[in-house]
Amino acid sequence: MTAGANALTAVPETGEDILDVSFLADEHARSGISNPVLGMILFIASEVMFFAGLFAAYFNIRSAAPVWPPTGNIEFDLHPHLAIAGFLTIMLVTSSVTCQLGLWAIRRGDRTGLVRAFTITIVLGVLFLAGQLYDYSTLGFGINDGPFGSTFYTLTGFHGAHVFAGLLMLGVILYRGTAGQFSARHHDAVEAASLYWHFVDVVWICLFSLLYILG
Amino acid sequence: MTKFAQGMRRGLPVMALAAVAVVLVAACGTGVTVLQPPPAASTQGKATETLYQVVFIIGAVVFFLVEGLILFASVRYRRRKDDDGTLPPQIHGSNVLEVIWTIIPIAIVAGLFIFSWQTLNTVDAVSPSPQLKVEITGFQWEWQFTYPDQGITIVGLPDKHPELVVPVDQTIQVSLQSRDVIHGFYVPAFLFKRDAIPGKTNVFDFTPSEIGTFSGQCTQFCGLKHWDMRFDVRVVSAADFAAWAAQAKATPTPAPPSPSPAGSAGPAPSGAAQPVPLGLTAQNIAYDKTDLSAPVNTPIQLTFVNNDPGIPHNVSIHKDTPAGEAVFTGDIVTGVTTKVYDIPALPAGTYAFVCSVHPSMVGTLTVR
Amino acid sequence: MATTVLTPTTTRARSGLYDWLTTTDHKKIGILYLTSSFIFFLIGGILALLVRTELAQPGLQFMGEASYNQFFTMHASVMLFLFVIPMLAGFGNYVVPLMIGAPDMAFPRINALSFWLLPLAGTIMMLGFFLGGSAAEGWTSYSPLANAKYSPGVGTDLWIVGLILIGTSSILGGINFLVTIFKMRAPGMTMFRLPILVWTILVTSVLVVLGTPVLTSALIMLFIDRNYGGSFFDPANGGNALLWQNVFWFYSHPAVYIMILPGMGIVSEIIPVFSRKPLFGYKAFVFATCAIGALGFSVWAHHMFTTGSVYLPFFSFMTFLIAVPTGVKFFNWIATMWKGKIEFSAAMLFAIGFLTMFLIGGINGAFSASVPVDFAINSTYWIVAHIHYVLFGGSVFAIFGGLFYWFPKMFGVKLNETLGKIQFVIMFVGFNLTFFPMHELGLMGMPRRIADYSPAAGWTDLNLVATIGSFIVAISVLPFLWNVFVSLRSGERVGDDPWEANTLEWATTSPPPPYNFDRLPEIHSERPVFDERHGRSLPASGH
Repeated sequence: MTAGANALTAVPETGEDILDVSFLADEHARSGISNPVLGMILFIASEVMFFAGLFAAYFNIRSAAPVWPPTGNIEFDLHPHLAIAGFLTIMLVTSSVTCQLGLWAIRRGDRTGLVRAFTITIVLGVLFLAGQLYDYSTLGFGINDGPFGSTFYTLTGFHGAHVFAGLLMLGVILYRGTAGQFSARHHDAVEAASLYWHFVDVVWICLFSLLYILG
Repeated sequence: MTKFAQGMRRGLPVMALAAVAVVLVAACGTGVTVLQPPPAASTQGKATETLYQVVFIIGAVVFFLVEGLILFASVRYRRRKDDDGTLPPQIHGSNVLEVIWTIIPIAIVAGLFIFSWQTLNTVDAVSPSPQLKVEITGFQWEWQFTYPDQGITIVGLPDKHPELVVPVDQTIQVSLQSRDVIHGFYVPAFLFKRDAIPGKTNVFDFTPSEIGTFSGQCTQFCGLKHWDMRFDVRVVSAADFAAWAAQAKATPTPAPPSPSPAGSAGPAPSGAAQPVPLGLTAQNIAYDKTDLSAPVNTPIQLTFVNNDPGIPHNVSIHKDTPAGEAVFTGDIVTGVTTKVYDIPALPAGTYAFVCSVHPSMVGTLTVR
Repeated sequence: MATTVLTPTTTRARSGLYDWLTTTDHKKIGILYLTSSFIFFLIGGILALLVRTELAQPGLQFMGEASYNQFFTMHASVMLFLFVIPMLAGFGNYVVPLMIGAPDMAFPRINALSFWLLPLAGTIMMLGFFLGGSAAEGWTSYSPLANAKYSPGVGTDLWIVGLILIGTSSILGGINFLVTIFKMRAPGMTMFRLPILVWTILVTSVLVVLGTPVLTSALIMLFIDRNYGGSFFDPANGGNALLWQNVFWFYSHPAVYIMILPGMGIVSEIIPVFSRKPLFGYKAFVFATCAIGALGFSVWAHHMFTTGSVYLPFFSFMTFLIAVPTGVKFFNWIATMWKGKIEFSAAMLFAIGFLTMFLIGGINGAFSASVPVDFAINSTYWIVAHIHYVLFGGSVFAIFGGLFYWFPKMFGVKLNETLGKIQFVIMFVGFNLTFFPMHELGLMGMPRRIADYSPAAGWTDLNLVATIGSFIVAISVLPFLWNVFVSLRSGERVGDDPWEANTLEWATTSPPPPYNFDRLPEIHSERPVFDERHGRSLPASGH
């Protein structure tokens, strides 16, 4: 194995395809969906199954409970929190829209538009998390208060953790965006991150409908 | 290649053949006693046994056919020493064959499925009017058998496994439940098991068809003493059962005092009244319960589980407060272990129970 | 192939340890996977010997129940999650990019992360032994037994954390395989020209990506129950004990296919090469593999027939159906050997060992699909026999076949064939001696997972036989270790294609250079290397 035997060992200079060696594959493989985006779609599929497991547990326990929410010493009614949760929902949906605007901007090659839109998205995301923490602090029950508490905090908590992970992703994109690493041709990471952010948004809409509206 | 290697090269297929042949002979040579379930001792078990035979025969046919084909192909089509190096015919497949060996297995499994389903309906049938009802409760690591209509309760002890006495040829309906973790009620001679699940009652029927004593055991792993969670089922004639029930009811003991068959357990210590079973667990230097209650003037059989590895605990009972007069002091046991305390009958009142080693472990026992 | 010559490599390959610790080369990562998995195989084997030693005779001679319960729990956990699954992922890592003519996996750094999570997870799981006892609830960790109330101690928590990390590793690996297979194929390598091993890895990866996160969710719920007062699984607090089983088996049944499908793939590579014939019924193999994957998600409750909470006919029927695609594969393997010129290399012997033994694992599994029979044999040693005929007689034999087959590609030297054949014979005999008697023990009523049994039960002789067999299996591993050692030092050097094989990995050097190929043969069939050697094969008949 001589050093000269390999013409393909060079690494691209930009940080773009940092987790991606599709540049080494033949041209034909570059057509269609890009590796990072396909990877993200598959990752989201696995995340869907993760939440499916939690939702299945929720429905299983709820269907077996004699009354739901359980009655007793602790007040499990989430309806008083509908207003704040609704407000949080609007923020997260808006952030999805701004995220998509940022993606459209970079598809046109508009780097400023990307940075502006993603800044707003991140601010909305942080506000969502802050609002959720505030809402937690006003609830009269904890994770150890029976199945209602366990399922509520597990579902919303793991959603919150995913929002946090999404924010980290968006933060990296924003940093790289300000460094000018994306262009109309090279923005797979933006596509992937925005897909993830939309997924997080959809999970929240399911949670909001299930936990707060249906109760 | 060395001579030895060449020898191996020739000898290996033969040796592999021989090894498989040994297994085959072991599987069929000694006849029906190999790979057979025990003779079924219940009506439902007999249905399962018949089903087993059918599955077994089909399985054996498939086994010999496919293993035979593999071995035949291996031997017949091995590369010969004088091989000329040409390629054998390059056959890529045959749709006809694919269809054949898809359809035939489908037919076989469909047949097996239908026969299984029919048998299942027999085995799983629950009678609306059973002749005897028994409530079976599993707990770490014993069984409790209650005959609600006869007013009899039998509880297993670590040194004396319980015995379920049932009349032959009668439909017995079992309500199976668990007090703590999941257990499995399994009697090999009935070819049957069902899980005992906390928070759920499983109901099934069995109709014992043979008189005798059959051993049973927990099959769902349930912790430390899972292996020792055994019981016996003693099937007796209807007359013997009536006699046993009358006696068991008259003498409020957890087990039959009358002639028990060889090998089964003897009578339990008898008292003025039948002892009430109570459970208490010590874990992380705390009792799992801080309130116990017991009926007045009745001995208590306290199953004490020490779940703290290497840490000694006990249960000591005092009048009113932990500082009060001791009415019972249990032996100190080091975890992980289970100890059964036989506590004498107590007059009505409030007692404190405490661990002599850890005064912070306290609780209240109410006797009324 | 790309024709542009990029910057030539300027740095010499960094030497030794640092290179192995930081590599993102799929081949090195593949070898790391295989090595780490093999170490865990030895650990799991020692745990198995401890279990078998205790069971040889009635009475608790060597250890208490507490130790016994830890050992059998960790034996299964290590063997399933740290040996079989990663071992097969290791083969996938090494071979898949080579087989499809790709320079590397799609995400090399994530690939390295997937690997390095495993030793970390394994260490975390094992730590329990030194912190007051490991997990001891069985690898199925049924709740409520696994709840803090009944299983205190940090061992189970470490087990949960370790398993979540392994799951994460699997998911990332599965995504990596899927993107690699979908996006990185060489020109001409259409889906229906993929080697069967690649197909099995593809289906396995789908199972991993969709199944493993469900296990993760179950483990997280268990962790919350244990540590934060959650109420998912304890009926005493309004939870549901059977919820755990449903969620757990939703992953863990497909996990069985995750552990056997790549083994079938390995065997499907070995048998045609040493029979000198193409794989019979290539497309049937593809469809059968997909069918097993699809059915894999609809049979989880056959582990729960005795709970009384399962719609039995449905799950019984689906379980029976699995036999059909498996049977199709068997007949195709035999048809591949039929009228061939079979060369009994060590790899081929292990492949035939797979056929003969996995068949038994299929047949004794069919007994469990028949629900009333399952009532008789579930949770007994029959089931122990069944899983070992599938996972040892199946997966392990395939793994050793694969090691003998690809070792020359990985290191440029062959493993010693004679030692390999000696190993096969000892292992084959020991394996059957250990596990065949367990059928009988199961029928006699010996439950699995018991630390001790009564001398009156009549199980003593067969248990002794099984224990002797297990030590014979252990002895059979010694020639292999010696074989690897001497072969790496002074093995027979071989060329690029010592077996006259079919698939693309044999078109490059042994071992292959970084980024794998300097040139690729034209790909017109599933046997590009065969085509190049013999001229293009005739148009495929029959499909």
